[in-house]
Amino acid sequence: MSAQRWSAVVNGQKEELDVDPAARLLDLLRKELDLTGVKMSCEVGRCGACIVLMNGKPVNACLVMAYQCEGAAITTIEGLAGEELHPIQRAFCEEGGFQCGYCTPGMILSVKALLDRTPKPTTEQMMEGLAGNLCRCTGYAGIMRAIKAAAGSDNRGNAMQG
Amino acid sequence: MRLDKLSAGSRWRMRPDGPEKTTGELRYLTDLSVPGMLYGKVLRSPFPHALVLDIRTSRAERAPGVKAVITHRDVPGLNGFGIVTPDQPVLCADRVRYVGDAIAAVAAESEEEAEYALTLIEADFEPLPAVTEPEAAMREDAPRLHPGGNILHRTSFKKGDAGAAFANCAFIAEHTYRTPRQMHAYMETEGGLFIPEPDGRLTVRAATQHGYKDRMQLSRILAVPEDRIRIVSSPIGGSFGGKDELNVQPYGALLAIKTGRPVKMHNSRRESVRAGLKRHPMKLAMKTGADASGRLIAHQVRIVADTGAYSTLGAPVLNFATEHASGPYRIPNVDIEGFSVFTNNGVSGEFRGFGGNQVIFAVEGQMDRLAEAAGIDPWEFRLRNLRKPEDPGPLGQRIWPTDGVRQAWEGVAASALWKERGASSAAASLPWLKRGVGAALAMHGSGLGYGIPDPGGGRLSLNADGKIEAAFSFEEFGQGILATLEAMLTGWFGCGPDDLHIVIGDTDLAPHSGSSTASRSTTVAHLALRQLAPKLKAKLLELASDLTGRPPDGLTTGNGGIWAAEGGGGSLIGYRELAEACGTAAELSFDAKFEFPVTPDPVTGGHYLYTSTAVAVEVEVNELTGSVRLLGQHHAVAAGPVVNPMGYLGQIEGGSSMAQGFALQEDARMEEGRYRIENLDGYLIPTIRDMAETFTVDAIEELPEGDPYGPRGVGEIGSVALAPAIAEAVYRATGKRVETLPIRREELIVRFAGAAVEREAGV
Repeated sequence: MSAQRWSAVVNGQKEELDVDPAARLLDLLRKELDLTGVKMSCEVGRCGACIVLMNGKPVNACLVMAYQCEGAAITTIEGLAGEELHPIQRAFCEEGGFQCGYCTPGMILSVKALLDRTPKPTTEQMMEGLAGNLCRCTGYAGIMRAIKAAAGSDNRGNAMQG
Repeated sequence: MRLDKLSAGSRWRMRPDGPEKTTGELRYLTDLSVPGMLYGKVLRSPFPHALVLDIRTSRAERAPGVKAVITHRDVPGLNGFGIVTPDQPVLCADRVRYVGDAIAAVAAESEEEAEYALTLIEADFEPLPAVTEPEAAMREDAPRLHPGGNILHRTSFKKGDAGAAFANCAFIAEHTYRTPRQMHAYMETEGGLFIPEPDGRLTVRAATQHGYKDRMQLSRILAVPEDRIRIVSSPIGGSFGGKDELNVQPYGALLAIKTGRPVKMHNSRRESVRAGLKRHPMKLAMKTGADASGRLIAHQVRIVADTGAYSTLGAPVLNFATEHASGPYRIPNVDIEGFSVFTNNGVSGEFRGFGGNQVIFAVEGQMDRLAEAAGIDPWEFRLRNLRKPEDPGPLGQRIWPTDGVRQAWEGVAASALWKERGASSAAASLPWLKRGVGAALAMHGSGLGYGIPDPGGGRLSLNADGKIEAAFSFEEFGQGILATLEAMLTGWFGCGPDDLHIVIGDTDLAPHSGSSTASRSTTVAHLALRQLAPKLKAKLLELASDLTGRPPDGLTTGNGGIWAAEGGGGSLIGYRELAEACGTAAELSFDAKFEFPVTPDPVTGGHYLYTSTAVAVEVEVNELTGSVRLLGQHHAVAAGPVVNPMGYLGQIEGGSSMAQGFALQEDARMEEGRYRIENLDGYLIPTIRDMAETFTVDAIEELPEGDPYGPRGVGEIGSVALAPAIAEAVYRATGKRVETLPIRREELIVRFAGAAVEREAGV
């Protein structure tokens, strides 16, 4: 297939590329735009390591083709922090919400999407919002602490009462 | 101590790698790229077992973008790898033994071109019968997979006369347990960047858990001296033992050398599943007997481990399983034999717990069954048979005394979860939901064990930038070695994190610290710094004394530099000024080199330092669906002082989640030598929905008086004892004993309608 002009607003900046319309957003971000915070892991939309926000909604970048995100606003993990860490990023640091860190960019963007939608989520809503992100290191306990801290809910100690 | 953020207070600290990991700024080795790099891809065997008759590459070589195609003919040195025995071909010449075996590799200008070129490689095979059952592979008439036969390794441990002692037993439990082919499922698949340098050296930036070992192995394969290779092996997106052995490195290195250009490799998940290591599936036949008072008398074990096509660490894993197969108990008559058997299945190798997880599931199952037969509470039964602090290790070897297992036992006995277990079954809200509580106990060795070189070491210096620099060859794969080193160093020097420069995972920059495996790095770091920190500190104070005219004993190290020992008031001279004032860098640099503590008794693989754990878990079984939900977990872990509370807690939480998968859902099933799963959609690991509602950890920090070894590693201990606790809890809930993991839902489903119909019909 011949290359076509693709444009999108990535982390607030307009990007234009000549791409195969069926190219994966994952590859555009990682290879063309060098946004390697978008991680490649399962490539079938199961693990969530490549999650980015597309017009504010979380999507697996491995499942989105260029033509499907033409003109969209894309936020990757690189676009989250300003001068300081975003409160969700800080919560992950303070609560032990990551270990190897490979799932963390996707995880944090899922939390961002959740809290944008539901500022005070219940535990059930937290689980619903993060069910598409796999983490092999933490057992999710630290991640749950981080979500609760980021949501400003009571998060004392490490018990995770529903 | 209940381990959590509150109790840790100011010791609960942000990891040094936090900001770069949460902002996506950190470049993992598979994120690296350089201009002009090629992409490498590997062609793997279509058959689990076949003769290779011919490999033709000319069409692939002419394909667009292709810069090199390599086969076995292109391996200049040893065409084999393997940490212990290098019997896995880099590129197969005449025979393939599993579906991950490599036939050829390609480097091309783009990933697509490399992949296309693989399809143009023509190879002729003569398929052979696949040997997929270890016990079939052990038979005399089975096809021989290796020149030495199909038994990679055999172990035997005998004490007393178990056979005869069963005659004196009032209770005997005899069961056969089976454990699954668990996949590491690290989120980052294998890969990296291979760069031929202008000076002729090769830089390898790829994940491993032992950079120096990779350097040695690659030097053998490439036929170049080790010092011509630099291994950069950190940071890593998860490993759990799975990246300790070579994976893509030989191909990346050979292709980079052949083309003279940088080559990037990054396995797809499918390729990672197909070629990567797994946990050894084991069949564990145990016969265990106790007398009328519930004292263990005899224990007979037969272990058969499916080690797959090649050796890697199959033998040490079996040694470890043999050592841990009788648990932390006093048993006068023991007879264990183990076999690690080659098959045409996927290669089994190192995996968190290292053969312990499988046997602990079995031996703890035996304890629960015997206790029930004897009419004794299962926890009381264990206490009656528990080892004493000065007892020898399970193979009769001298070990460093530990009371950890009794302390861990108490940790569970005193927990709310265990004390209130009687109320559990009544708490379920619907008739088909059944609840129960189970617990298990384990001791786990750290370090590589007797007879295996287990070097430790590190370097501490004040560098030219005025930073206290610690260099270790360890890798950071999530476990938190950076945070642990930071905590140790700020403790020794009273300085801030900004005064430190920590170097890891680089054979050019860090001395040999041994592998980042076997729960050993925390102890190695502690032992190294105990030697080095006083030396560097004394040197810094001496220099500062010369410069300030104050006596050294009136000075101390602190934030930013050297302070007056009394009275505070800020630093008198900064570390940077000290570095600038010092004549030679060598003066300010100290090296440590030692062996990891090992038993003095010549028992191959026998350990000297042990950690202990006890786990209680409450489950709820849905008898309509067969699903098992974890309601609460309590872990009591005895591993010495907690250096890094966030890291320690995370290891127990994370290790336990992995054990939950092992117990309830994970199995990389193979049929006829082919994987029945190929990605994370078919191989399901726990999600956030699977976590227990409550999870508490008690860290038992006390060590025997005069203990010189300090904090023990906890990378594995959180993963070894949950599975048997879950199995017991399921039994308490449903009355069903489980001997095969993962627990199949079908086994737990109760046919309510069927039962009602049968009652109606008076059957």
